[in-house]
Amino acid sequence: MSVLTTRARSVESKHTQVAIYSMGGEISSEQAVRGAIQMHSKRVWRFGLALSGASDVADDLLQSTCLRALERHHQVTSHDRLDSWLMTICRSIWLNEVRARSVRKAQALSVTPEADLIAPGNDSETNIFATEVFTQVMQLPEAQRETVMLVFVEGYSYREAAALLEVPIGTIMSRLSNARQKLKTVMQHEAADAVRRSGK
Amino acid sequence: MKFSDETLMAYLEGKLDEAEIRAIESAVEADPALEQRLMALDPFAPVVQAVFEHVPAEAPQVDLPQPMAPATPAGGGLRLLAVAAAVAVVAVSATFWATRPEPLGWAQQAAIYQSLYVPDTIASLDNSAQTLDAQFAQAEAQLGRSLNREELEALPGMELKRAQVLSFKGKPLIQVVFADAQGQPFAFCVIRQGEGAPNKDVTQAVLSGLATATWAQDGYGYMLIGSDEQTDLSGQLDFLATSFAS
Repeated sequence: MSVLTTRARSVESKHTQVAIYSMGGEISSEQAVRGAIQMHSKRVWRFGLALSGASDVADDLLQSTCLRALERHHQVTSHDRLDSWLMTICRSIWLNEVRARSVRKAQALSVTPEADLIAPGNDSETNIFATEVFTQVMQLPEAQRETVMLVFVEGYSYREAAALLEVPIGTIMSRLSNARQKLKTVMQHEAADAVRRSGK
Repeated sequence: MKFSDETLMAYLEGKLDEAEIRAIESAVEADPALEQRLMALDPFAPVVQAVFEHVPAEAPQVDLPQPMAPATPAGGGLRLLAVAAAVAVVAVSATFWATRPEPLGWAQQAAIYQSLYVPDTIASLDNSAQTLDAQFAQAEAQLGRSLNREELEALPGMELKRAQVLSFKGKPLIQVVFADAQGQPFAFCVIRQGEGAPNKDVTQAVLSGLATATWAQDGYGYMLIGSDEQTDLSGQLDFLATSFAS
């Protein structure tokens, strides 16, 4: 965190300069980036969780991603799909700056999936199921986990996910197939439970 | 080559052999319509999506550098520019929020509403004792609890201006608005969230360009909203968190 925060501070002064020039004009790229950050912060955080498997790292990744995005707002030429741009930045920070450190930490602590992120609901059976699905997804290998998050949760198409993760579409599809194999058990339990609950 | 829904379903369930899998995967590569069909049939996606869409429960906090130089009270052209910029920011935000993927929480909505307030909004409000009596009676009836009016009137550096009944998703939301020493609007909001709503510690964040602090206790949500993103809420926060502690 300290490394990332220091970098964040250095962005600040430069950034304020840029903002002054954009006052009173049309929607500036900076305003668009700020809007996108506000709109997509949850998705970026989730993606950070999928990459790192830890919510504190997801917090740091989101923060660094947003600062980096603001720093680079002049690179934005189209205000469309700023979400995938944020995701790409998040992933690149993860791969280049955070991953090695976090993986070492995870091995040392043998981090378990953060199932307490599943909010307690009223129906305990639904809740148990949600926790199982959550745990299964978080136990997938990182490549499958990031793909599942982008396609299943965030609704990116296979080709969008392929572009974002810089792999062929076939790789996206086979990662999803492998993930489905692992998620199948918990899904079948749920189907069986649903039948039982319906009284048949 | 055409694939039936049954074949695509068998693919998704992992029941096809290698050759069939390859045939589908290479067909998808060239055919976005087939990709869409396959994605729509996937029984896993909605289940995983339903589990993760509420993670994290609250919008995560991000600390961003200031968007513009602090507004100087010098007046004139700079001030107009600042207003224009603020309007532009609201317009941009509104555009993004209109296409937002997730519903906003009450605190975000309250901040958006409050961000439209300017000193003139509150300058001419009738805050005679009689008017406030009626407003507080109505607000407390809706809310089902006292608003500790004496305490609010004693809020350091603030002049009580109005209590207004609003609503968020059918829940009563009371906005109590104040003027600070410079006549800038300042708000304290209370929403009835219902029994069983989780207690939350004080969280400070900039929402819609305004400094805010939110917390929740015993089925009620509370929120302080400053007049800009740099408003220091700590004095009021200590005061209110204590007086609304039970």
